Amino acid sequence: MTSISTSSEDGLQNANIGTASAADLFALTKPRVMTLVIFTALCGLLAAPMSIHPILGFTAILAISLGAGASAALNQWYESDIDGVMKRTRNRPLPAGRMDRETALHFGVGLSFFSVILMGIATNWLSAALLAFSIFFYAVVYTIWLKRSTPQNIVIGGAAGAIPPVIGWAAVTGDVTLMPILLFAIIFFWTPPHFWALALFVNSDYSKAGVPMMPVVAGRQSTRRQIFGYSIILAATAIAPFALGMTGIIYGLSAIILSGIFCLLSARVGFSKTEEPSEMGAEKRLFGFSIFYLFALFGALVADRVILA
Amino acid sequence: MSEIDTSKSPMTPEQQKAYQARQKQRAVIMAGILIFLVILFYLITFVKIGSSL
Repeated sequence: MTSISTSSEDGLQNANIGTASAADLFALTKPRVMTLVIFTALCGLLAAPMSIHPILGFTAILAISLGAGASAALNQWYESDIDGVMKRTRNRPLPAGRMDRETALHFGVGLSFFSVILMGIATNWLSAALLAFSIFFYAVVYTIWLKRSTPQNIVIGGAAGAIPPVIGWAAVTGDVTLMPILLFAIIFFWTPPHFWALALFVNSDYSKAGVPMMPVVAGRQSTRRQIFGYSIILAATAIAPFALGMTGIIYGLSAIILSGIFCLLSARVGFSKTEEPSEMGAEKRLFGFSIFYLFALFGALVADRVILA
Repeated sequence: MSEIDTSKSPMTPEQQKAYQARQKQRAVIMAGILIFLVILFYLITFVKIGSSL
């Protein structure tokens, strides 16, 4: 049945679309996701072997946050169709009809340019180039290219989320050494178990949206085995800075204990055969712990640097 | 400041009021952001010049 809207309804829609509220523009930046980006970038900045003036350090973190917000806005601009299908994302400003796509695009592109220029002016152009690359990688390589075409989408796309500590480090030192590369690798190998644990119990939503997430394409058992495999690599990567003598005992002990728990929870997911999302306790526990794991590991790195320095 | 002619607008007076309230809210936030950026760029310049002396 076709419904014909009244002029009043049209007016309301125009009124909503004509001027998106500040709250909706803020929501477009995915503030909850941004907290993890800000935290890891800050840890990269604080773990660097040199110091930075607080004003410039603050500006660097601000620029990284704005860059992350710009990436999120561009992601939502492109994915408004699939966001409208999934229950978790249905109420975002674009699928809910509170903003038009053009506004989101302009906001995302404008914020991208501003964040990169701000970073370059305040710190150095290497960190600005890394920030520009991460925005491009997330918006174009992950969102536009990989997400709808391969079940390896979040593995490769995870690189964008892994760059913030490298940018934070480069903002202070002006270079990229082995330590920030290891920090990048930690987040890179953390991403698949983190997202696939979530995808296992929200599988139906991704299927409905036609996103080829690993559980949809390869099946739950294969995904569970891969989660365990990535967790082993993650543990080795997380312990590497201590094993190579780049950090002290605070980080070393934390990395060993946290990675041990992570592997244990991943093993329980690996052995699970549950098909019913409501009974996936092991997957939900791993997803919850994975967030704590990253915060605790990077927190321990900063504590190690600050206390032992 | 001229008002929007409601006889030609597809919006009802209530919708127009809500629209203008959103515009005003965005303008106030934008002004706040601009003031913040002026101060931030002043401080960045101050630090940069200070470190090069």
